Amino acid sequence: DEIGLIPCPEARYNRSPIVLVENKLGVESWCVKFLLPYVHNKLLLYRQRKQWLNKDELIDITCTLLLLNPDFTTAWNVRKELILSGTLNPLKDLHLGKLALTKFPKSPETWIHRRWVLQQLIQENSLPSLATKGNLGAAPVERIHRLVQEEMNVCSEAAGRYPSNYNAWSHRIWVLQHLAKLTVKVLLDELSSTKCWVSMHVSDHSGFHYRQFLLNSLIHRTVTDNNTLVQNQMVNEQNPSLRKEEESAETEATCAEEQSVDLPSRLDEEMELCSELIDNYPGHETLWCHSDESLNNSHRSPAASHMAQAMDVDGLNESSSKQGYTQETKRLKRAPVQDSLGPEMEYRFVDKVLSTCRDVDQARFATAYRKWLVTFLGQ
Amino acid sequence: MHVGGEVDVRSAYCAASVASLTNIMTPALFAGTAEWIARCQNWEGGIGGVPGMEAHGGYTFCGVAALVILKQEHLLNLRSLLHWVTGRQMRFEGGFQGRCNKLVDGCYSFWQAGLLPLLHRALHARGDPALSMAHWMFDQLALQEYILLCCQCPAGGLLDKPGKSRDFYHTCYCLSGLAIAQHFGSGDLHNEVVLGIPENCLQATHPVYNIAPEKVARAVMHFLQYPVPSLDLA
Repeated sequence: DEIGLIPCPEARYNRSPIVLVENKLGVESWCVKFLLPYVHNKLLLYRQRKQWLNKDELIDITCTLLLLNPDFTTAWNVRKELILSGTLNPLKDLHLGKLALTKFPKSPETWIHRRWVLQQLIQENSLPSLATKGNLGAAPVERIHRLVQEEMNVCSEAAGRYPSNYNAWSHRIWVLQHLAKLTVKVLLDELSSTKCWVSMHVSDHSGFHYRQFLLNSLIHRTVTDNNTLVQNQMVNEQNPSLRKEEESAETEATCAEEQSVDLPSRLDEEMELCSELIDNYPGHETLWCHSDESLNNSHRSPAASHMAQAMDVDGLNESSSKQGYTQETKRLKRAPVQDSLGPEMEYRFVDKVLSTCRDVDQARFATAYRKWLVTFLGQ
Repeated sequence: MHVGGEVDVRSAYCAASVASLTNIMTPALFAGTAEWIARCQNWEGGIGGVPGMEAHGGYTFCGVAALVILKQEHLLNLRSLLHWVTGRQMRFEGGFQGRCNKLVDGCYSFWQAGLLPLLHRALHARGDPALSMAHWMFDQLALQEYILLCCQCPAGGLLDKPGKSRDFYHTCYCLSGLAIAQHFGSGDLHNEVVLGIPENCLQATHPVYNIAPEKVARAVMHFLQYPVPSLDLA
């Protein structure tokens, strides 16, 4: 489940350089300068049609090559051809990639190939008549779910192996967009499962950016569903004879379920998480950026949409961009319940940080944040 | 980036760069491209590899430069972009970081600092009265200090940061960034700001194509002699 290079400049004993301990594969470094050119050359000769390799040899050679240098695009492309011709099970490449990422967590080509493989698997999924080569049994939806979970794990591991791993986090986002279709459930699940991770990686801007992506997607989801709801209501009102019972009932049911996503409290939770981390780990710019944006979002969220439903659809669209309007309706809506994290709370938090912190960077971030609060809330 | 390969904002820049220099641009070729690039700008103000992704210096340069070529910079929120990129210059090192909370890297001397000439031009076109007529909106001397003092390999060539080894990529982009930092504007408005001895001064580079401005002019003039190729399969 993991590969690595064992620093061993000279072959001391007449034995294999491959070491396998508890499911971890090690290669002694002295052999790489012999092994890599050898397999590399063999593959190139095959590609140039100067030397034939059969399917099994190809699989072995590319596997060896990619574990030594996973950015060798040609090797991945040979495997693409093998997959397309039905000789290689795509799941093997997911496993190979996962292994390569334990040593090369950023490797762009590995992530790119991984997305290609996943796309093949999704297409396969939508054609149930195709033999699934070992994936038999599970229903398509469950298969996708398992694939998604596995991808989340792979991304998480890779993100932990290299700080601010852009490629790992973009892959994670891609999987949510293309495999999981950004359902509310998966967005919420990801928010809770990454909470612990980001708390342990407070300078990892990519990790926090991921949470912004999740929150933004949730907001967007709610707005879209509310738009559909409002539009359906309007259509129903105007043309009662044309009412599509099934469609509107279904949309309303979905919206009802999704409106049960309490967006304001999610955003409040995010602010709380930020404040807590800022207190515990002074001087991390990432946390302050995240705080800025979360506060921004909580004032722009469609909590106002409930009010706007009475108004026309255009009004609803505008509310997310006119900050003054949203703030007002948000206050109206939440009047009976006390704002847990209103602006006063933020001022108090920042002033507290400023008076108690001793870290120079923390003081600078806090001062900037305070200025931003004044500008932002002053509008 | 290549057939069956990754899709991201870099390819838009490569395509726009090549097509504009060789006079093969048609409206069909870049239909929808500008709008797609604009979607790559996120809440941070910078631009990510694809829509939804974290803002990143390399991708931001590619996105903005492509939009400049396509004459569609106005599709971006220039204010938040300016806020983001200026925040990327490190107050201690003087060089630029690629993303928030990451370390300085010599190559961002071009990807990030190179944004300021592009922004300057875009804001100038809007008639912004606050623009300087002598300096870019970043600390030009501080960047030059970082490159000259920290990014040179004693054996020749340039690098990411002290402790890293030299390579052609970092040599190219450290030098490109140095050129950007030393030269403001062009023609009548040209203002040189050179740290150290005059011999440190490099030739100016074109902020969109990153080749000598004269070469850009010559390429454009040469290819204008030929008609734009048609896509008809005659």
